[in-house]
Amino acid sequence: MIPFQFRLERRLDRKWWHSVLTPLLSVLAALAAGAVFLAIEGLNPIRVYLDLFEVSFTDKFGITDSLTVAVPLILTGLAAAVAFRMNLFNIGAEGQLYLGAIFGSWAGLQFADGLPTIVGVGLVLLAGAVGGAFWALPAAFFKAYFGTSEIITTLMLTFIGLFFMRYLIFGSKSFWRDPDSANFPQGKKVPESARFELWGNTRLHWGLIFALAVVVAVWVLIRYTSIGFDMNVVGSSHASAQYAGIPVRRTVMFALLMSGALGGLAGATEVAGRAYALDPNGLQLGLGFTGIVVASLARYNPFAIVLVAVFLGGLRNAGIALQGLPGERVPVEVSLMLQGAILLFAIGGEIFSHNRLSLVRTTKAVAT
Amino acid sequence: MTASPAGPGSDHPGRPAAIAAVQVTKRFPGVLANDKVDFHVDVGEVHTILGENGAGKSTLAAMLCGLYQPDEGQIFLSGAPVRLRSPREGLAKGIGMVHQHFRLVERFTVAENVVLGDPQQARFIKATEVEARVGEIGERFGLPINPRARIADLTVGQRQRVEIVKMLYRGADVLLLDEPTAVLTPNEVDALFQTVEAMTAEGKAIVFISHKLGEVMAVSDRVTVMRAGAVTGEVATADTSQRHLAELMVGRPVEVETRRGQSPSDVALSVQGLDVVEDGQKVVDGLDLEVRRGEIVGIAGVAGNGQRPLARAIAGMIKPSAGSVSICGKDVTAKGTKAARKAGLAFVPEDRLGTGLVPGLSLTDNMLLTRKRGFFVNRSEARAEVETAIVDYEIKTPSTEAQARLLSGGNSQKVLLARELANLGTPDGPQVVVVSSPTRGLDIGAAEFVRGLLHEARERGAAVLIISEDLEEVRSLSDRMAVLYRGRVAVEGPTDQLSIEQIGLAMAGVAEEGAA
Amino acid sequence: MNDTALVLTLAASMAAAVPIALAALGELLAEKAGVINLGVEGMMLIGAVTAFQVGDASGSLWLALLAGSLAGAVFASIHAFLCVTLRANQIVSGLALVIFGIGLSTFIGKSIEGQPLATDFRPVRFGALADIPLIGPLFFNQDPMLYATIAIAVLIGVYLNRTKAGLAVRAVGESPGTADTMGVAVAAIRYIHVMLGGLLAGMGGAYLILGQVPSWSQAGTTAGIGWIALALVVFASWKPMRVILGAFLFGFARRANFWLQGEGVDIPAEFLSMMPYLLTIIVLVVWGTRDLRRKIGAPAALGIPYIRDER
Repeated sequence: MIPFQFRLERRLDRKWWHSVLTPLLSVLAALAAGAVFLAIEGLNPIRVYLDLFEVSFTDKFGITDSLTVAVPLILTGLAAAVAFRMNLFNIGAEGQLYLGAIFGSWAGLQFADGLPTIVGVGLVLLAGAVGGAFWALPAAFFKAYFGTSEIITTLMLTFIGLFFMRYLIFGSKSFWRDPDSANFPQGKKVPESARFELWGNTRLHWGLIFALAVVVAVWVLIRYTSIGFDMNVVGSSHASAQYAGIPVRRTVMFALLMSGALGGLAGATEVAGRAYALDPNGLQLGLGFTGIVVASLARYNPFAIVLVAVFLGGLRNAGIALQGLPGERVPVEVSLMLQGAILLFAIGGEIFSHNRLSLVRTTKAVAT
Repeated sequence: MTASPAGPGSDHPGRPAAIAAVQVTKRFPGVLANDKVDFHVDVGEVHTILGENGAGKSTLAAMLCGLYQPDEGQIFLSGAPVRLRSPREGLAKGIGMVHQHFRLVERFTVAENVVLGDPQQARFIKATEVEARVGEIGERFGLPINPRARIADLTVGQRQRVEIVKMLYRGADVLLLDEPTAVLTPNEVDALFQTVEAMTAEGKAIVFISHKLGEVMAVSDRVTVMRAGAVTGEVATADTSQRHLAELMVGRPVEVETRRGQSPSDVALSVQGLDVVEDGQKVVDGLDLEVRRGEIVGIAGVAGNGQRPLARAIAGMIKPSAGSVSICGKDVTAKGTKAARKAGLAFVPEDRLGTGLVPGLSLTDNMLLTRKRGFFVNRSEARAEVETAIVDYEIKTPSTEAQARLLSGGNSQKVLLARELANLGTPDGPQVVVVSSPTRGLDIGAAEFVRGLLHEARERGAAVLIISEDLEEVRSLSDRMAVLYRGRVAVEGPTDQLSIEQIGLAMAGVAEEGAA
Repeated sequence: MNDTALVLTLAASMAAAVPIALAALGELLAEKAGVINLGVEGMMLIGAVTAFQVGDASGSLWLALLAGSLAGAVFASIHAFLCVTLRANQIVSGLALVIFGIGLSTFIGKSIEGQPLATDFRPVRFGALADIPLIGPLFFNQDPMLYATIAIAVLIGVYLNRTKAGLAVRAVGESPGTADTMGVAVAAIRYIHVMLGGLLAGMGGAYLILGQVPSWSQAGTTAGIGWIALALVVFASWKPMRVILGAFLFGFARRANFWLQGEGVDIPAEFLSMMPYLLTIIVLVVWGTRDLRRKIGAPAALGIPYIRDER
C-alpha cells in the first residue's frame, strides 16, 4: 500500500482574490508548460508569446477579429452553462450549432430576400434556435422520460448532424449548395438582408451585440424568473422539486431544449455574421466542445462566460492571424496547443481555488 | 470492572472476553459521544447495547469494529490490547459489522459481493468454489441464499443475510449487528434470531444493537444500557424485565405528559381507505385517519411500515391507488402538492435537506420554494422573512444568502419549520401540519425548540400529525396516537390510555386482529 | 463477380476495426472503473504522432507501437489527476484533453506533415489456411495487430469477469463506497485503468499511423475514430467481445462504400459515416430504458467523483 494519499478539503476561508488570482495563475502555469514544448522545438517562448499577444489583442483588427471569434463561443458557452449547472450534460452544442446553421441558412435563403435586414436576420436567428432545439429534442425527451444518458445521445447526435451537414454541401445537390460550385462545393450565399451588418471595415458584426443581449437575457431568466427558479431547484434536488410541486420532467426538457436553442443560435450567428452560407468546413472547428470548457471555466456564470470566450477567442484568432504574418516567425499550431494547455490548467486551478490539497500519511489518518 | 488476569471484562476467569472496550471515550465537535464506556462480549454470547437514538450505541459499535478510534480507553481482543485503524483491519482480526445501510454492490451476485476485497481470495476466482462455500455457510447458520442471485433482485431481509454471510465467509468471530431488525418483517426477525442462535452455538460472539425492548429480551444473554453517551447499567436478561430496561434507557419512569383541557374541534385532515402501491407492494393498505384542529396525532411504528408513503400521499407527492385525502374539507387526493398546500397543508418531510430544503439554493430561495411565484421572482419579502426567522428561531447562518447545505441539522429544521409554519393561526397560514421525524438527529436544545413549535401549532388551532419512529417522541408529544403495521393502523387511541405493552405488541404486529 | 470486392471490403473492414476496437477497449476499462474519458481522440493523436517520430527515428515498428502506447498512457494520466485527485468534472476534463491533444499533436507533428513512414505492418499468412476462399483472406491473412486486438479483448474479458482484481474494478465502477469499505483502493484502481485506457487508445493511434494511413496529418490520421470508439463502448454495452464485433460492424461502415458502389447501390458516404452513431443511439434508446439498464447498462457510478464519507 502507498503510505500516503492526496486529500482534498474544501476551503472555508475563501478570499475574493482567489477567484481573480486563480485563472491568472492557471494561465501563467499553462504558458510555462507550453514554453517547455516551444523550447524543445527550438523556439524562443517569450518571443512567441509576445507575437501571439500582439496579433490578437493590440491593434484594432486583432481585437475585432478576436471578438468575432468570441461570438459563437459566448453562445455555445451559454448553451453548456444552462444545462451543466443543472447537472444535465448536453455535450452536443457542437451538433446543435450545425443544425442551427442548417436551419438558419435555410430561412435566410428561403425568406430573407427583399425583407428589411432586421427581419431577415431575425428569421435566420429564430430558425437557428429552432434547429438547435430540434437537435436537442431526442436527447431531452429520452432523458426526461426514460432516463437515457444525455451525454451519449447528445454526442452521437453531434456526429449525425455533422455528417448530415456535410451531405447537404458535399454529398448532394441540395437546396443549400451553390449550383455554380461544381469542383469545390460551397453553400449558397444568403441575401444581404440575412446578414449582420459589419462594424466599419472590420470583420466584427452586430452578432456580438446580439450575443451580449442573449447573455443578459439568460442571466435574467435564471436569476429572476419562475422558470429559472424551477431550473435551479431541479438542478439541485429532484426530490425538492417534487416536494414543491415543480414538474421535474418538463423542467429538464425545457433546460435541454433551451441549451440546444442557444447552440443553434451560435450556428445561426456564424451564418449571418461570418460565412453568409452553410459552410461545413468553416463551422467544424469544435466551437461547441470549446463552449463546454468556456462554461466550466466561467463557473457557469453568464458574464464570466463573455470574458473567457473573448480570451479564448483571442487565442483562436491568433492561430488564424499568425498565418497572415510575413515570414514564418511563429508556428500557427502554438495557439492550438496553448489553448488546450490553458484549459487543462484552468480546470485544475479552479479546483485548487476552492479546495486545499494536502498530502496525508494514511498511517496517521484518524477517522477513515 | 477493569483488566483482570483473565483479560479485561471477562465473566469467566481463565477465558478472556471475545472483545472488550475498557473506559473508552469518543468526542465529536460539540458532542461527547461516548464517555468512559465499558463493554464486553464473551465467546458464544449475545450481548446487546440498548439505548435511544443518539445514546451513543453506534459510536461504541464503530469503535469496536475499527471505524472510529477511541480518544481515550482501550479495545481488547481475546484479552490482548488492539488498535484498529479501519474496519478492514477489524475484519482481518475477525470483527465483522453489519450496518443498517448495507454495503453491497447492487449489480453483483451474492457470491461476487462475498469475495469482493477478501484478502484470502486467490488471484483467479473460481465461481463454483465460492458458491459452494457460500451455500455451505448458509446451511450451517440458517441463512438460505442463492449465491448466483443479483443483489438488486433480493429483498431487504435477503440482503441482510448476504451481509452476514459476507462476514462469516471471512471468518469473523465477533459480529456486530446494528439495529438489524429495523428493516425486517416479523418472519424475517424470527429467522435472524435463529441464525444468531446458530452462530453463538458455534462460538461466535454477537453484539446486538437495538432500542427495542421486546427483541432485546428475546435474543440477548446480557444487556448494556446506554444513555447520553454513558453506560447506565449492565444486566443479564435473566435477571431483568422490560420495565427495568426501559427505566435504565429513558432515565425516568416513563410517564405521559398531562394534557391541557383544550378540546379538539372539527376534523381538518381526513384520510379514508388509502392504498398506496410501490414496486408492486401494497405499502399503505386501506388506511383511515382523522386529525382534528387543536390536537396532535402521532403515528408510531417500525420503520418501513408505510409511514413514508402515507406522509407523501397526504402531501400529494405520490398518487394513491385507492382511497381519499381531504384537507379542510377539500378533496386533494392525487391532485399534487400545490393543491394540498392550497387547501392548508404544511409538510415537513423526514428528509429535510434534499427534499424539504434545496441544498444548493440560498435560504431566501428556500423560503420561496413553497410560495406562490409569478413570472418574475420577488426575493425582497422572502429575504425579510428569513431575517425575521433568523432572530425568532435563533438560526445560526452566515447570511440569508448562504446555501442551505451549509446549515447544521437543527438549523435547517428550523428554517424548514419557519417556512412551513409561517402565518400560523391565520386563514392564510397552515391548517394541517404534517411533520415526519421532527427531531431526529437534532441536539437537545433544537429538539426542545421544535417540540415547542409543534405545541404552539396545536394551541393556535392547527391539526398536527407527527410521524416518527421514535416511540417516546410520539408518546410525549401527541394527544392521540396510532401504530402502523404493514400499512395499516394496528392500534389507535388516546395516548394516555394506550399501555406500552399494547403499543409494543402492535408494533410487532401481534395485535393486528385485536385492534378495532 | 463482385464477390472479390466484397471479400476485399470485409477484409479491409476487419483491419479498420483494429484501432476502433483498441481505443474502445481502453475506454471500456476506464469506464468499468467509473471514469468516463471523452479524450479518446486526443490520446489517439498523441499516440500516433509519438509512434511516427519514434518509428521514423528507430525504424522499429514495435518500438514505435510501444512508444505510442506509453504516450497515450502518460497523456491519460492528466485526466486521471484532474478527475480522480482533483475531482474535476469528467466531461469537461475529457473535452479539454481532446483540445490539448489536437493542439499538441499538431504542434509536434508540424515537421512531419505529409511525410510517409518507411515501415509498415505486414500481414501474417497462416500457410494454406490463407488460401481458403472467403475465410482465408478474412481470418488468416491479416496483420498481427488484428490478432493481438482480439487477444486483448479476450484477456480483458477474463480479467474483468474471472479475477479478483477485475471484480474490484467493477465494484469501483458500480459502487466506490462499498468497494472502499471492503478494502479496495478506489483511487489507485481509477488511476491505473484510466491510464490503461490511454495506453490502448495510444496503441490504436499508433497502429493507425503505422499500419493504415500513409502519412501524418492531424485531421486525417484519426478522422473521428476516437469518437466512434466512445460510441462503441455503449453500443457493446460494456462487454469486451461485443466491442470486437461492433468494431467490425463500424469498420464495415467505414469501408463499405467501395463495395456498395460496385454493386450499384448509391448510398452517400455521409450516411454510412452516420451509421455507428445512429446504431448507438438506437441501442441506447431501445435497451436503455430503466428496467433493462440495471442488467446491461453503464457502470452505476460512471462519471461521479468518489468522495469518502467522513464524519
